[in-house]
Amino acid sequence: MKPEPARVVVVGGGPAGLSAALNAALSGASVLLIDSSSRLGGQYWRHLPETWLEQSELHLDLDTGLLLISAVANHPKIEIWSGAEIWSATHEDGAATLRLITNGVEKIITTKALVLATGAYDRTLPFPGWDIPGVMTPGGAQSLIKGNGIAVGKRVVVAGSGPFLLPVAAGLAQVGCEVIELLEANSPLRWLKSLPTLIQNLSKIGEAAHYIAIFNRFGVRPKFNRAVVAAHANQDGELESVSIAKIDSNFKIKKIERVKCDVAAIGWGFTADTSLAGALLLKQLVTKDEGVAVLVDENQESSIAGIFAAGEITGIGGSELSIAEGVIAGLAAAKYIGCKAEISNNHHKTRAKKQKFAKALISSYPVKSGWQSWLTDETIICRCEEVKYSKLKFAVTELGATDSRTAKLLSRCGMGMCQGRICGRFVVDLVANESGISPSDISEKERISVGNRPIITPISIELLANGE
Amino acid sequence: MNSPDVIVIGAGVVGASCALALTNAGLRVLIIDRGPVASGTSGAGEGNILVSDKEPSPELTLALRSRNAWFEVNEDIGGGFELDGKGGVVISRSETGIAGLKKLAKAQRENGIDAREVNAAELRKLEPHISPTIEYGVYYPQDAQCQPMLAAAQMIRAVKKRGGKFVQGENVIAINSKNGQLTGLTTNKNTYSSPIVLNATGTWAGDIAKLAGSYLPIAPRRGFILVTVPAPELIFHKVYDADYVANIASGEADLQSSAVVEGTASGTILIGASRERVGFKSEFEIPILRQLAQQAISVFPILKELQLLRAYRGFRPYAPDHLPVIGEDGNISGLWHAAGHEGAGIVLAPATAELITAEILGKTPFMDPTPFSPKRFMNQNPSAGVNVAS
Repeated sequence: MKPEPARVVVVGGGPAGLSAALNAALSGASVLLIDSSSRLGGQYWRHLPETWLEQSELHLDLDTGLLLISAVANHPKIEIWSGAEIWSATHEDGAATLRLITNGVEKIITTKALVLATGAYDRTLPFPGWDIPGVMTPGGAQSLIKGNGIAVGKRVVVAGSGPFLLPVAAGLAQVGCEVIELLEANSPLRWLKSLPTLIQNLSKIGEAAHYIAIFNRFGVRPKFNRAVVAAHANQDGELESVSIAKIDSNFKIKKIERVKCDVAAIGWGFTADTSLAGALLLKQLVTKDEGVAVLVDENQESSIAGIFAAGEITGIGGSELSIAEGVIAGLAAAKYIGCKAEISNNHHKTRAKKQKFAKALISSYPVKSGWQSWLTDETIICRCEEVKYSKLKFAVTELGATDSRTAKLLSRCGMGMCQGRICGRFVVDLVANESGISPSDISEKERISVGNRPIITPISIELLANGE
Repeated sequence: MNSPDVIVIGAGVVGASCALALTNAGLRVLIIDRGPVASGTSGAGEGNILVSDKEPSPELTLALRSRNAWFEVNEDIGGGFELDGKGGVVISRSETGIAGLKKLAKAQRENGIDAREVNAAELRKLEPHISPTIEYGVYYPQDAQCQPMLAAAQMIRAVKKRGGKFVQGENVIAINSKNGQLTGLTTNKNTYSSPIVLNATGTWAGDIAKLAGSYLPIAPRRGFILVTVPAPELIFHKVYDADYVANIASGEADLQSSAVVEGTASGTILIGASRERVGFKSEFEIPILRQLAQQAISVFPILKELQLLRAYRGFRPYAPDHLPVIGEDGNISGLWHAAGHEGAGIVLAPATAELITAEILGKTPFMDPTPFSPKRFMNQNPSAGVNVAS
């Protein structure tokens, strides 16, 4: 392998990665930005073709995004590899080695300074019928709207928990879907508790007002303490209706009604994509929402010197926090390779403010264990391998699994194409519950190891064989 | 159950097989493992039930009996571990390799193995996607496969149903004895008394022997396996290069690998097998994965079109003479061992259990167990053994 020039490598083209790349480049560093998507912006700024004029209607801070994308794309010191999938990453002798596939060719790069900004994906919970075509995640619905500008269905139910449901419901309404229900599983009282923090983040209040205006225009009335607890298919196997339940504060069902719809967008916040961090053996921790995050210091540096992390993988917090973290990570990485970069108090203050807001949000939208009572023996738990709940329970009660790894290997939950990205997180909770372990007693190791995959993304056997 | 007839340490396939055989013989068995079921080597292998990779030897006699015993176990406990008598195909491309394979097959046939030489056309009937460069092979209808974690879990489930017990999450910290006679063991949580303790801890068996004040030279040998995405059925048997047999018998520390390819019940294809003596080194080494992929493609070019989904590694326990260790300890009366089966732990487990059970009950075993006896290490210098493992 030939020696690489001193540079900062940034993985991820969303708010955090773009900010890191730009700030490292502005500090004088050469930057390589690697992104798995074909266009920059990440999930958050998955923008429409430029000819689509009403796009800013769909996305409040798309302008920020477009400016950032264009600044990164036009910066002479930033090289961009889009559509590049990293399949393996290792760290040895002070340098990280990334092996990736781009345009059907494997490339291997080594770098002393690496910024991980791999983002997050929708957190899902299983329920009877969640595998029926027409049931999707809010992120999935949003990328259909933003990527193609098409109405995903006629009658749409948006449900789950968290502030992300609002832009998704608003976006669906604007592209012509009838949003017949917008359901938040938690109570509005939880919001009030975090009001003082919310007021300090006035831009967010403005955002909420914007969505409320859209909902008023399209006649969408948000309801609280309600969840979709089952989905039902018609004869063609497509979504026909959902069961909407009034639920208590622990998510246990109180009363159910059936509502006809052809699309249900359901999500429960986000799960950080820590596969790359796990492959590099970075220290991770369990967050308040029982997710996993990469441990970083005040300059976004991970447990390994020279590897920085920013954005959702250091704890779910939204785009503004991601940008604040990305700026610091980019400066710190540039400084690490000898560039002149100053991380000021202001940088830290901005981040602290956004962190406080993120914390308030997480405590406003918890996922309570009562969701497990929505499942039946027939409910599919692992969609890739079509493993039913009864089979997972058999692995625990009859075959003696008491941890999710053993349950996985005995039931095949999480052994399919997605390698547990969808079901891994909630299988931990289901196995613990079945083994009589309380959620608070689940070990950090158990939750963290779910995201660890030595092969980060599938690679063709031919490319593997032909590599150096 | 704090005073069972036998305590089995280790809930892998060997421990589970022994526990089942002992339970079926009427003994009250307690299984103890520091982790969950099959969390060691049994959970990191391919599920090989092979007779094809063994030269005529006591190990082959053990393997032949064991292969049939697996189908009896399957019947006994009601299946549930994907046992599949799919057969194996061994190929070779070099003149010397083919000559060696012919000789091996002949010797195996004389020892009761069904080993059928197949030409290029017959080979293609068995494996339509095999490389056109391969024109000779030996077909072994007796070779089989199972899902080893499920096998261990299902056998332990049967043991529990038949009155035995499985305690997981307890680490054995002392083997207790009085006047040279074993009396039981102590874990980090409990003390159990029993006249017999069976050490079925595989790669870690040397540690248990040491706790008891005895000695077993068992060391780990690392092996990697690649798993492809699920595919339509492309590979119908366990197919491997004859070099694999030579590698198993090797004492070299360096990396050795040869193609071992097979489909599984879930549609994924497993690609092995590498072997190296590097202690418990757990890093994923990309060059090894690449080499395995190259070798697999050279046997099945169609694999080029598949994707690698995951990879895993395990540590196979082996003794310096590459024979399993089965029988009573030479120093401590009441301490028994069933370990060191290397890459053949799955195939040899049920017959190992039969030998152990017969010997414990003082009955005549189906074969002479002397070659496997732990007593063969009695006169060795323990300090030399520690170096083997490090």
